[in-house]
Amino acid sequence: MSKPIRIALTKGRLEKDTVGLLEKLGFDCTAVREKGRKLILPVPDANLEVVLAKANDVITYVEHGVCDIGVVGKDTIMEMHGKFYELVDLGFGRCKFALATKKGYDFYSGYGIKTIATKYPNVSRRFFEKKGMDTEIIKIEGSVELAPLLELADGIVDIVETGTTLKENGLEVIEDVAPISARLIANTVSLKMRQAEIEGLIKLIEENL
Amino acid sequence: MRNYDLITPEGTKDFLFGECIVRRNIEDTLLGLFKSRGYSEMITPGLEFFDVFNLNSRYFPQENLYKLTDSKGRLLVMRPDSTMPIARVVATRLRDAMMPLKLCYNQTVYRTEPALKGRSDEIVQTGIELIGSQLKIADLEVISTAVDSLKSFGMQFSLEIGHIGIFKELVGKLEATDHTKEKIRKLIENKNFPALNDLLDSLGNSPVTNALKKLPALFGGEDVFEKAEELMPEENIGRLLDELRDIYRDACEICGNDGVITVDLGLVNKTDYYTGLIIKGYLQGHGEEIISGGRYDKLISEFGYDIPAVGFAVNVNGVAKVIEKNGVLPAMPRADVIVYAEEGCEVAAIRAAKELREQGLIVENALFDDLETVRDYAKENKIPKVVVIDGSGKEEQE
Repeated sequence: MSKPIRIALTKGRLEKDTVGLLEKLGFDCTAVREKGRKLILPVPDANLEVVLAKANDVITYVEHGVCDIGVVGKDTIMEMHGKFYELVDLGFGRCKFALATKKGYDFYSGYGIKTIATKYPNVSRRFFEKKGMDTEIIKIEGSVELAPLLELADGIVDIVETGTTLKENGLEVIEDVAPISARLIANTVSLKMRQAEIEGLIKLIEENL
Repeated sequence: MRNYDLITPEGTKDFLFGECIVRRNIEDTLLGLFKSRGYSEMITPGLEFFDVFNLNSRYFPQENLYKLTDSKGRLLVMRPDSTMPIARVVATRLRDAMMPLKLCYNQTVYRTEPALKGRSDEIVQTGIELIGSQLKIADLEVISTAVDSLKSFGMQFSLEIGHIGIFKELVGKLEATDHTKEKIRKLIENKNFPALNDLLDSLGNSPVTNALKKLPALFGGEDVFEKAEELMPEENIGRLLDELRDIYRDACEICGNDGVITVDLGLVNKTDYYTGLIIKGYLQGHGEEIISGGRYDKLISEFGYDIPAVGFAVNVNGVAKVIEKNGVLPAMPRADVIVYAEEGCEVAAIRAAKELREQGLIVENALFDDLETVRDYAKENKIPKVVVIDGSGKEEQE
């Protein structure tokens, strides 16, 4: 059998959903389910090698071609960009980017420059650039919801799933920025050099979504 | 203030010994190959006026250029590409030259890449430009040179061809703003099927939108042409497809069994730059293209001389990376002999070393003042022979 196709999975929920999908396709993912602390795991009957990585790193590994394909959220793709093929919307991991403020706050009033706290400065910058709005963007690493509560920022741009965290902290979504879901990406050279195998896998996946 | 006197800028590095041998071997092989096909080398300046790269079509986004100013305050850039400077030279000093012109180059280009991504800002490109012929044989000449270049690396490779005209024909029939068209191009380039489908659905359902949706999936072997013909029955596109298929078949024959020729109708990068054939070359084990090129019949006219051209460049650093990944770095050639001069015999020793070199040996002059250290040095550096020159004449030792 030829060298396995390396697939980088975003650790956590997307990893679980992808493994579920692979099992639905009939592949034996025991090694991935019982991974322990291992980071590279075989799925022998699919001739796959699963690599577990953080979202940003999935893109980095695929871009460099050390992983042939990867599963990563559209949120990471929008923030990082990079050179790869974005082949399939896998449909799971659905949520959205949204602009949220303290409840009742009139974000678009006045001429003062608004301050935005976010983990996604590139997404935020582009969103406001399109509106022709100058904003000050502050990068926050942890719970972004804190920033408007502590009055560091007028609003936040963040991933919203159910909106419960926002609600419990007295914030509300005032505008959707972009929908998000998991994507299957591929290295530009791998797709060409191993076309039959990767296309075969994609066909299987698309039939089972 | 912090001193940066012990490190090199991000995206650059020093090349030592074996790394230099690998790189020079690639450059020499490629230049030899190009020259054996009648290409003449040219060197353009590392610094160019910003304007050369800031033509109407703006092929190079300004944020990716290294910029500086000359003593008169004019904006300069570190050359980000060799084709545009060569186009400038063709439109000026080579305007009256007999066509076609076959030019080759081997020089560094500079582009700012995002930091901490493991990319180089400084890349050696060795390539050719064939100026002044629109014939099919010119396209084939360039393709066969690209195939020979890839073959010379002795690794599994594939060469991919495409034709930008097909995308341009399709998108020309679309009722959409230039902005939307550029969005479509970008999505096709990234084979972003989900977003491409959404965008085209919003423009209605027609044979054209349907064909555009499928375009990025049209890659692979010869069956691509059949699928494409079914999908795009228009006469203009049919003609382009026939042209490309013709080239594809000839290329397969030229390539033989050493590599694979493939086709991708979704190659739509830099639409303004390329006007026809597009070429990409890949090596097994490297995540990005090694060869990039194509036909650019309108570029030189932006410098005031309307003449067609086709060419490609090899990313030498990329090739070197794959070679280094696959094997050990070559050892530096060892000296065969080291010549040690007793005090007062320096001139005789230098003369003796020269004589030995004339016999074709690699000869070092010993730079120590005692024989014991010379022997240690020779042992350490695996130099098989120590020659001692003293007052009495020549004394040789193994």
